[in-house]
This record gives sequence, structure tokens and C-alpha cells, in this order.
Amino acid sequence: MAIPLKYNLRNLLVRRTSTLFTAGSIALTVAVFITLTALATGLRTAFISTGGERNLIVLRQNSDTETNSSVTPAEFQNIKYLDGVARDGAGMPRASAETIVLINLPRLDNPQGSNVIIRGLAPAGFALRPQVQVAAGRWFRPGSREVVVSEKVARRFVSTGLGDRLRFGKSEWAVVGAFDAGGTAFDSEIWCDVNQLMNDYNRTSYSSVLAETTGAQALAALADRIKDDRRLKLDAFSETAYYAKQTSSATPVQALGIFIAVLMAIGAAFAAMNAMYTAVANRTREIGTLRVLGFSRASIWLSFAIESTVLSLLGGILGCLVTLPINGISTGTTNFSTFSEIAFQFRVTGELLTTGLVFSALIGFFGGSLPALKAAREQIVTALKTRG
Amino acid sequence: MKFFRLVWRNALRNKRRSLLTVTSLALSLFLLTTLLTVVTELERPPDSQEAMLRLVVRNAVSLGTPLPVAYQQQIEQVPGVALTTRMQWFGGVYVDEANFFAQFGCEPVKLARMYPEYKIDPAQLDAFVRDRTGALAGRVLAERFGWRVGDRITIQGRIFPVDLQLTIRGIYDAPDASAVFFDQQYLDEGLKALDRDGEIGTFFVKARAPEDVPRIMDAVDARFRNSLAQTKTETEQAFQLSFVSMLGNIKTLIISISSVIVFTILLVVANTVGMSIRERTTEIAVLKTMGFRRRLVLGLLVSESVCLGLLAWLVGSVGARLLYGGIDFAKLNFPFIRQLEVTPQSLAVGFGVAMLIAVASTFVPAYRAARMTIAAALRNI
Repeated sequence: MAIPLKYNLRNLLVRRTSTLFTAGSIALTVAVFITLTALATGLRTAFISTGGERNLIVLRQNSDTETNSSVTPAEFQNIKYLDGVARDGAGMPRASAETIVLINLPRLDNPQGSNVIIRGLAPAGFALRPQVQVAAGRWFRPGSREVVVSEKVARRFVSTGLGDRLRFGKSEWAVVGAFDAGGTAFDSEIWCDVNQLMNDYNRTSYSSVLAETTGAQALAALADRIKDDRRLKLDAFSETAYYAKQTSSATPVQALGIFIAVLMAIGAAFAAMNAMYTAVANRTREIGTLRVLGFSRASIWLSFAIESTVLSLLGGILGCLVTLPINGISTGTTNFSTFSEIAFQFRVTGELLTTGLVFSALIGFFGGSLPALKAAREQIVTALKTRG
Repeated sequence: MKFFRLVWRNALRNKRRSLLTVTSLALSLFLLTTLLTVVTELERPPDSQEAMLRLVVRNAVSLGTPLPVAYQQQIEQVPGVALTTRMQWFGGVYVDEANFFAQFGCEPVKLARMYPEYKIDPAQLDAFVRDRTGALAGRVLAERFGWRVGDRITIQGRIFPVDLQLTIRGIYDAPDASAVFFDQQYLDEGLKALDRDGEIGTFFVKARAPEDVPRIMDAVDARFRNSLAQTKTETEQAFQLSFVSMLGNIKTLIISISSVIVFTILLVVANTVGMSIRERTTEIAVLKTMGFRRRLVLGLLVSESVCLGLLAWLVGSVGARLLYGGIDFAKLNFPFIRQLEVTPQSLAVGFGVAMLIAVASTFVPAYRAARMTIAAALRNI
């Protein structure tokens, strides 16, 4: 027969100082784990959510990223009219040739700054990315020296607000709008007219081509066709795959998080173990009494193991609560595949909170199982003779 | 000191508890020391006199935007400049993307003068200078990939649409020997066919004396202020740090984690110490009956925690120093971390934290126990 859970809860309440301290140390461990994982998850989500399912991105062979790539206007004309590229209402191919330039902008928190992607594109490019919407002001006018800045970039970088003038290329550009890209990688970019940008940087080639295909099969077929064409020397991937590949930026943060969390968890498990050993020692007589009442060794073991798990879960819940407010805080780091800024948000997901709780329960279970074993092994007679 | 035995035996009276506390504290101190060391490594100043003389000139727009090669002559005319060399980050891939390492196109003749701290066999250096398709590889890389002098390697271009076929002509030793140098002109020839030659990512500049460094920085940038390509000149250290700062606010992140860790150990230790003192109320009363002063009792109890803290510090912080000293990080190829040297400062911080926690966690329960009247304490069974 199992010992009622109430017995454990009341015991935790009686030694409240010890309970609070132990749960507190577990709470902090869980909080550090959740924070660092939320950072990595946010970064990964920014990349994974970026690609359009039917979009195909075309780059120069072996260039890996848009920043390294170049595609000539002739190649663009060629790609545009290939089979499988979707057409709009007027029968025009839904394809956009784009140019990427990296510029170093001073950050509000660091004058050294970071590299930000300037994407030159034509309005056809907006249509391929329905997740990007103007949040303030308006889109740039084609052919003008105007830029639209992501809201997240505007919050982190100097002179990128609506009405500011940004200096890059041959002269100044007016910031006429702010866009919201719904947490995707485009939230780290500044957009402007492609021809103006190419002219400023004396470019004769685009960086990449983005095209919408008529479906998944068409996408695969078109990608193969472009890759296999020896005259083109181009690579083509689904946009989703292209961005998914860049999630490796999140690996170091995730690794750091796991390293710290594991070490802290072992420390916290020892703390729980200490608290539980003391609890067992103080309650030796009670344990004897419980045995006399007919509770088996197994139920004693279970009772103490549960008590420790509950104690740690308390800490876990506390840790989850503490980290909730960081959800949605936006920050940025450098995407080392393109050497450019990537803005993202901390993401505390339900799944992550569950992991945190399970993590804390495990700490408690492992910390508690040895002391529980000690409790279960007590001899009735000696236990009853113990003082206290 | 005559009480040392008493303190020591008391510290170890509940061996299991002391072991758990010390291990827990040691783990946290280990973590703390590691984090502090990582921050120190990321901001490590150059260790040689030579490195302080080096400057990097790049395009003010960003590293991805090149400078005209013709700037070199003008930079060389700036007073205080001893030497300049073109330096091009190639960013290519050797066999597999996972094999990331730095490849620089340089001017081989000037390499030894730019980096006098590099140890290169003169015959090998000579062979490197003579062979336009030659390469000079760092010892760390040569060991990692099993390269020998005379081996041929291919590095596939990513930033540039050119693949480099290189012959290893020499292997150099340096504190951070994990790069491959090749002749920048070899790359330029490949780019000529594509009409993309005549540009360079950076110029490395060497000043004659440390006091020339700030003057050169201003003079170079002033010279190109009204040109199409404006320059940004910074010290080699600032240049390297700019990559770390691109990561975001790493320092704040690490420092906040560290403070959480410190607070966590405070909770853990305070809890154990509190438990152990509460159990000994009677004993403390006996000590006082025997004539031990309040202060002495307090001192004895605090010393006990200090002993445990010291032990944990030895295992955690000093252990970290020994552990990291024995690991060759260059081979592990971590991003940004070439070595982890636990500095005396980090050890001192670890020691400070250990002592602070020992004292802070013990003071309240010990003070309460020491203040209790004998009668009350003895009654407390």
C-alpha cells in the first residue's frame, strides 16, 4: 500500500527553509537551462520559418550563401522562363533577381557594429515573401534611393528609423518604411531597389534568384535541371532547405546551454540528496512507525523518492515561471555562414517548459533515490530506538 | 591554530554530507572558472610586442567589400609605416565544410617580416616564396590533416569562384598555428579570367614603433575619406575582437549566468550548513558550558565552512586550471577558443567566491547558535 502523498507534502512544509533553499537551487538550474535553450530555439526558428515551401533559390555553384553568390542577368532571363516557374495573373513568371550587399552598421549597444544585409530587389520579390509586411511607412518606390528597414534592425542599429538617412554605397538613402517579417531571417535585413544598389556597388551580376514553382515536384525537377545544366554553373535549392542549413549558428549556444545545465544539474542533485538524507535521518523513528503500521519497504522507498521529486518539481515550476518573461525578447547575433547580423527572439515554448519540468523531476528523482533506499533499509527495532 | 583539529574533524563528521556539499560547490566553481576563462580568452590582448605593432586596413562598408589594390602604395607612404602586405581571406572549403580553417592570400616575401613570431624553417620559407602555387600551413593543421611538405591540396572557393591547387612548401609554428597562407597573386590570376582582379580584402600594416600606431590609424583613414572606398583602420587586436563582438553580447550573457551560478551555490551551501548547525545545538551549548566564548564558537563554525570552501576551490578552480592546461584546444577546433588558460585572476575570483559563500552561508545560523543561552540550547534535544 502506498503512503499518502499528503504525508510528503506536509513534511516539505514543516522544513520550509530547507525546502525553499533546495527548490531554489533547482529553480535556478532549470532557469539557466531554459534561457539558453530558448536562445538556441529562437535562433533556429528564425531560420527554419523563413523559407517559402514552393520557393526555389538559385546561387552560383559552390557559393553556399547569397552573400558569396553571383548570377548574371542572362542567367536570370534563362531561369525565369524554365518549366515549373509559377506565373502571375498577367502571365509573368514569379521570379525575382536580387542583389545582396553587406554593410557594417554601428549597433546601439556597440559602436563597432555588425554587418547587416542590404537586399536589392524588385516588387516581384515582395510577392514571393507574403510573410513580410509593411508595419510603418511604405515600401520603397522602384528606381528611387529609398530603403525599408526591418523593425528589429531599426531597434538595434543607429540611424535606421523612419525618416532617418542611411549612408552606404555612393550616397545617402532615405528610410521610408519599416517592415515586419514575422520572426523570419528577413527581420535582419534592409531592403531597397535592386538597380540602384547594383549601380552603387558597380555590380553587373545579381547575387541570387528566387522563383516560385508550381509545386513540390516541379521544384525538385527544376532544381535538378538547373544543377545539371553545365552551361549555367549554378546551384538550386528549396528556400526552406537553404535556410535550414544555416541553423548551425545555433549549435554553440545549445552546446553551452547543455554543458552548463548538466554541471549545474549534478550540483543541484547533490543538494537535493543532502536535503533528503537529512530528512531521512530526522525521521528515522517515523519510518520505523510506518513499518510497524504495515507499510512495506517498497512503499517507504517510493514515498521518499516521490517527496524528493515533488520538491524538485516545485523548483522546476519556479524556474519556468521565472523564465516566462524572457519569451519574445529580441536580440541578435552574427550568422557566420553569411557574416551578417541575424535578429531573433527568445522562444520559451510549451515543449521547452515541459522539458524543464521533466529535467527538474529527474534531478529530484536521482537526488532522492539513494536517501530513499537508506530509509527503506532501516530495521524496525533500531529505527524505533532512535532519538528524534 | 590549536583548534584546527577540532574544526577539521567537525567538518568531516558527516562524511557523506561534506562530500556532497564539496562536490556540488566544486562543480559550480569549476563552471564559474570555465566561464570566466572563456571571457578572458575572448578578450585576450596580444601576447607579443610584435602583435601590438600590427594594424588592419579594411573597407569601411564591411569586410565583404574589397579595397582597390592600388591603395597599398599610398598606405606605405604614411609616416611610421614600416611594412604593408595584402591579405585576402579566402574562406574556402578543404574536402568537407566541417574542416573549417582560415586561408589567407598574402605576399609571401613579406610574411616573415610581418610575423616575426612565426617560426619557419628558412629553406621552407624560401621554397614557399618561389612557388606561386605554394602554401605555408600551420603545425596544428598539418597534424590534423596529416599534411607533409610536398603534399598537394585543393581548396574549393566559396567566396571566390576559383579553386586553389596548392602544394605545401612549409610548415610554421606559432602560438596559434592554425591557418594556411598562400600567394595572393595566384588567386588574383584566377580572378583575372573573371574580370574580378585588382581588389583585396585587407591590408596588414606594421608600424615602426608603438607610438606610431594611433597616428597611422588616423592618417590612413583621413587619406581615403573622400575616396569611393573609405577605409577603416584598427589594431590587429581590435580587428579580431570585432568578430567576437559580432556574436552579440556574449559577455553580458556569461556574466549573468555566472551570477546565477554563484547565487545557486549560496543556496546549496547555506542549506547544508544550516542543517548541520541546527543538529549540533546541544554540542554548541556544551562548548559554551566549558567556557568557550561566543566569538570563538562563531569562529569555529565559520572556519569549518571555510575548510570545505577551500577544498571545493582546490578541486573546482585549481582542478580546472590543471585540466585545461592538459588539453590541446587548438586540435579541438572550437570557434574562437584556441586555448583556455585559467589566469591567476580567475583563480582569485573563484577563491573569493568560495570564501564569500562559506562565510555568508554560515554566518546567520552560526551567529544564532552562538548567541543562544546555554539553558535554552541544552533544552533543545
